[in-house]
Amino acid sequence: MTERTYIENDNARITRGEGILLKVEMYDGRIFEDVEARRLFPVTGVYKYITLLDSEGAEQAVIRDLRNLTPDSRAVVEEVLGEYYLVPKITQIEKIINKKVKIIFHVITDNGPREFEVKSIYSDIKTLYDGRVLIKDSNDNRYEISNLNALSRDSQRLMAPYL
Amino acid sequence: MLPAEILTNIPLPEELNKKAAELLKSDERAMFSLVGDLNLSGRYAVSALIATDKRLIVFDEKHEGGVFTLPHSDVEEADVKRMYGNAVLRIKFKDNGRRLSIFRFTYSIAELADAVALFTENIAKGADPDEEFKTVEATFEKKKSVCPKCGRTLIRQGAECINCASKGKIFKKLAVYFKPELKRMIFSLALSLVTTTLALVPPYATKMLVDDVLKNRDAKMLFSLVFALLGVYALQHTLGALRGYLLRITGDRIVASLRNDIYEKAQYLPLSFYDKTSTGSVISRVSGDTSTLQAFMLRISQEAVIQFFLMVGIITIMFVMNWRLTLLSLIPVPLVVFGGRFFGKRIAPIYSKIWRRWASVSSVLSDTLPSIRVIKSFTGEERAANKFAAFNNEWLKEDRKAAVLSNVFPSVVTFLVTCGSLLIWAVGGYWVVYTPEYISVGLLVSFISYASMFYGPINFFATLNDTYQNALTSAERILDIIDAEPEQNFGEGRTINTIKGKIEFRNVNFSFDRIKKTLTNINFVIEPGDIVGIVGTTGSGKSTLVNLLMRFYDSYEGDILVDDINIKDIDLSSYRSQIGYVQQEPMMFKDTIFRNIAYSSPEANVEQVIHVADVANAHSFIARTPDAYDTMLGERGVGLSGGERQRISIARAVLKNPSILIFDEATAAVDSETEHLIQEAIERLIRGRTTLMIAHRLSTLRKANKIIVVDKGEIIEFGSHDELMELKGKYFKLIEIQSLSEKIREGKEAENFE
Repeated sequence: MTERTYIENDNARITRGEGILLKVEMYDGRIFEDVEARRLFPVTGVYKYITLLDSEGAEQAVIRDLRNLTPDSRAVVEEVLGEYYLVPKITQIEKIINKKVKIIFHVITDNGPREFEVKSIYSDIKTLYDGRVLIKDSNDNRYEISNLNALSRDSQRLMAPYL
Repeated sequence: MLPAEILTNIPLPEELNKKAAELLKSDERAMFSLVGDLNLSGRYAVSALIATDKRLIVFDEKHEGGVFTLPHSDVEEADVKRMYGNAVLRIKFKDNGRRLSIFRFTYSIAELADAVALFTENIAKGADPDEEFKTVEATFEKKKSVCPKCGRTLIRQGAECINCASKGKIFKKLAVYFKPELKRMIFSLALSLVTTTLALVPPYATKMLVDDVLKNRDAKMLFSLVFALLGVYALQHTLGALRGYLLRITGDRIVASLRNDIYEKAQYLPLSFYDKTSTGSVISRVSGDTSTLQAFMLRISQEAVIQFFLMVGIITIMFVMNWRLTLLSLIPVPLVVFGGRFFGKRIAPIYSKIWRRWASVSSVLSDTLPSIRVIKSFTGEERAANKFAAFNNEWLKEDRKAAVLSNVFPSVVTFLVTCGSLLIWAVGGYWVVYTPEYISVGLLVSFISYASMFYGPINFFATLNDTYQNALTSAERILDIIDAEPEQNFGEGRTINTIKGKIEFRNVNFSFDRIKKTLTNINFVIEPGDIVGIVGTTGSGKSTLVNLLMRFYDSYEGDILVDDINIKDIDLSSYRSQIGYVQQEPMMFKDTIFRNIAYSSPEANVEQVIHVADVANAHSFIARTPDAYDTMLGERGVGLSGGERQRISIARAVLKNPSILIFDEATAAVDSETEHLIQEAIERLIRGRTTLMIAHRLSTLRKANKIIVVDKGEIIEFGSHDELMELKGKYFKLIEIQSLSEKIREGKEAENFE
């Protein structure tokens, strides 16, 4: 078992490759080409522990904390992660229709307006310890309310019975 | 007579004692005796066995002359054959190999008889009687561990009997939970007094209305009275709402505290408790019984207090108004009180039954729903539904009985109190008509109002018994857990930092119940760093061996030592923290993958968890899942394959960095590619650690430097793989069968044959 390669601060330069692939040049001379960035903690730690997988799915290196990378490297990684992980942030809740077997949400997100269905408020709507609310729709798409208190009072009132 | 201080389970009957003394030779010492309760024909009778340093002397009417003597030297083998509800001590004679049952008994003395069998067999082999007597003495001592008051078995001699020590009035025990809420309750009580007093005002106002206001046509007084009453009602209901809120909060806090205690206590109960008590029953107690108690506490704390004060206040006013009418109104009261007691006695056993039926329904739910895959694969949906319906109907039957009783009684009570009211109308009305100077109309109307108010509390307390009995049953069930003996931490405080990993089992015997011995005379030594394979057929006792090592069960005979220290003398948490246990069916919690791995070491950081997931060959599949380490596992790890769950379980064990590792058939249910990944992970893990592996795969056993072969609870072979193969015994046969089945399996996989 080889030791894990951690990327942090300026011990590597990360540039964009084709599509969402990345090229990593370690300052010890090693190069990892065509690697894909994946979050090891996409729910609880969006900036921490980003694994870089090759085409076989084997891990090549791990970024400890995105925020500690050089600005250029950070921007590139955030760009590809933004493309890979689509989790629109809900900025406003227009209406919620409860049809007992499903709940239909009409929302405005940072990706535009959206309508989706949620099957179970118990398993598909989760409030995290940091105040974020994560919603999963019936097609397994994810949405996030980054800060419930930052929503308008009407939006908060509409959301309250489902938290 | 034999010496008075002779070791015995119960005193020998005088007649047998005399006969035994007469039979003793001059150079013979009586060492102990065993008084039995069956004769050899299986009938209840007094029989006895006296063991001397030279012989066994057995008194049983079925023996010739009522006595049988056997020199130890004639014994080749001695054992206790357990049957259904009874057992026999059997001897195999050295000279002709003949077997003979010499002593029969019920399970009450089966363990003592085991000690006798071992005693005579070992002396026959040349052991010193005094040395063997020590083992017998230890067995007798353990049996003596019963409470002198209630006869309940204690976990060790001299231990406090929890059953007797804490069996006080049930609600007295629950008073512990009321104590923190005392201030709130006293304040609520004060509010209750005020609201009760206010409730007594309107009927008196009625008297004033009839006798003064209406009679004198005093409109000014009328309006004053109306406004005064408005004020009284407003205050009464405001304070009532505040009181209700406070009492609700108090009731909730008490019950939440109770639930926490039950759940916490349940964590520390020994596995033997869970072997006998269904999880459905425990779940019922935590959720259902606490809710029943909460409803009762609310009723008691809110209504009962008010009703009591109301009753006292009303009866005082009634006596002041007219003592004769008051006495009349009290006529139905004794009937109601006695009726309540009669009802209580009838309903209590019914509520107990209802609880048991409901626990059975819960058991079916918690047993079958998680096994839904099994049900579907065997098209057992209809059977499962019918089974549930059957249990549900049993509950319904019992609940109906309670429904009849708990409705008939209140109706009877209501009828009786109505008759009381009629009596007041009749007598009081007669006096108003014929002796108006004695009692005015206003007074009668007011009195009737008070009387009807009075019957309210009477009725309430009469029907309170119904709720009380229900709550009592729930309280008993809850206290059953709270009072249950937790796992005994004999070595509490005696922690160990590291274990080298030497394991020794010395004369270990164990059975779950008294019918069948699960482990017999287990003796072996494992040195630190040994990798030991444990093999045997299903039910041979392999898992029980590791369960004892984990101290999941304490009621075994003999000793288990780790690094030459008895495991019972080590602090339980400290001891178990040194052992990593990977089960055959790894249990996952409904939590993230990260927290499932970190369960063994909650303070571990992210990189430590990632590292151990790597060691367990789990990191790569975790990284490829959409939510990676944040993936929420379903109940029982739904969402992962068997091999993936197994690897997470191994990661969990690695994180603990244990000195002793136990694998219970870790690769039993996976394909060979996954098995290879798991084996690789295991190999990384076991380096330098004492490892016990219950296995039937040849590939696993090849890594072991020692093999223990278990059969019917006994170790029949012990040695290295090569030594046992040369022996051509049980191990050799098991390996032959295993090799053949592995070849077939590999062949099928190679052809991608499904």
